[in-house]
Amino acid sequence: MNCAEWETRVALYAGGDLTGGEAADVERHLGECSACQAFRSDLRDTLAVLQSAHADLPAPGDFTAVRSRVMAELQHRALPWRRLAWISGVAVAAAAALLVALWPARVAPEAPRLLASIPPAPQVAKVSPPAAVRPVVRRVVTHLASAPRRAPLTIKWQTGDPNIVIYWIAD
Amino acid sequence: MRSLALAAMAEPADNLRERSGALAAACSGDLPAFERLMRQYERLVLVTALRLSGNLPDAQDVSQEVFLKLYRNLGKMTSDEAVAGWLYRVTVNACHDLRRRRGHEDSLELAGQLASGGVDPHQALTGGERARALELSLRMLPEKERAALVLRDLEGLSTEDVARALGSSEATVRSQVSKARVKVKGFVERYFGRRS
Repeated sequence: MNCAEWETRVALYAGGDLTGGEAADVERHLGECSACQAFRSDLRDTLAVLQSAHADLPAPGDFTAVRSRVMAELQHRALPWRRLAWISGVAVAAAAALLVALWPARVAPEAPRLLASIPPAPQVAKVSPPAAVRPVVRRVVTHLASAPRRAPLTIKWQTGDPNIVIYWIAD
Repeated sequence: MRSLALAAMAEPADNLRERSGALAAACSGDLPAFERLMRQYERLVLVTALRLSGNLPDAQDVSQEVFLKLYRNLGKMTSDEAVAGWLYRVTVNACHDLRRRRGHEDSLELAGQLASGGVDPHQALTGGERARALELSLRMLPEKERAALVLRDLEGLSTEDVARALGSSEATVRSQVSKARVKVKGFVERYFGRRS
């Protein structure tokens, strides 16, 4: 009997990986083949020693070392963001302070209001039409009604400060 | 055999509730909660990495890498079972990456160690020497067979969970596990100068 073709199935059977009909087939063959029985026995021994050889866990300090390295790395990565957040916070605060300090200067000063008092134009008296043609002399007489003295031109500059008013008076 | 779901339920109910709480809190960026989450899964990650890489410093490097990756992917973890399956998969992949980076140095070194076997048969009876042979034989296996053997026979996962963790079919896992068991047995026998 060629047992090489059973090797794979016996190896699975030795590890408990076969069930039902597959397991029954292997068991039947093992009942008839002492070489495969020895092969299965050796495999089981090997697996048992393999499992016991790896049963020991690393020391608690080995786990702690990994945890510490990971936490240190995560905290280190978080630092630039914290620093950036701090710097941007300071920058925003400085910008706000600057804005508050310069706020009046940023508003355009109110232009002085020009308040000029212009005297009324002198009234011209109506020229009465000639009653009759007087061919001799044509005389036009113009009278300045009441001919008041001209009032001086006054220009008043109102600055942004209500307490400061500039007057310019021109005669 | 223990499945991932059963592994999670092996803890007392109170721990399970805390576990869910730790995962939820860690997802919201709570670092102390993430540290608690690490404590719950550190055995799974470090021991699996140790069995796959064969030495503690490498296993610790892999564990660190895996937990940092977990932190970045916390939002994708819907349950504790999902975390365990994800951790097995990422740990196996990280160990494969490490092995590829190392190249053939390890294989040559191991081949030398195995060639120097053939010790006194009386020494074969000592557990320490046999364990050392098993350790070396594990490291000589192709990486997929080793991962299948470690997850199935040492971590005790079901074939279905191993297939999920390795991204393979169950038939492939069964084939890998079977070959790995036969090879380990052969390595050990050669190491002790015996032939079957």
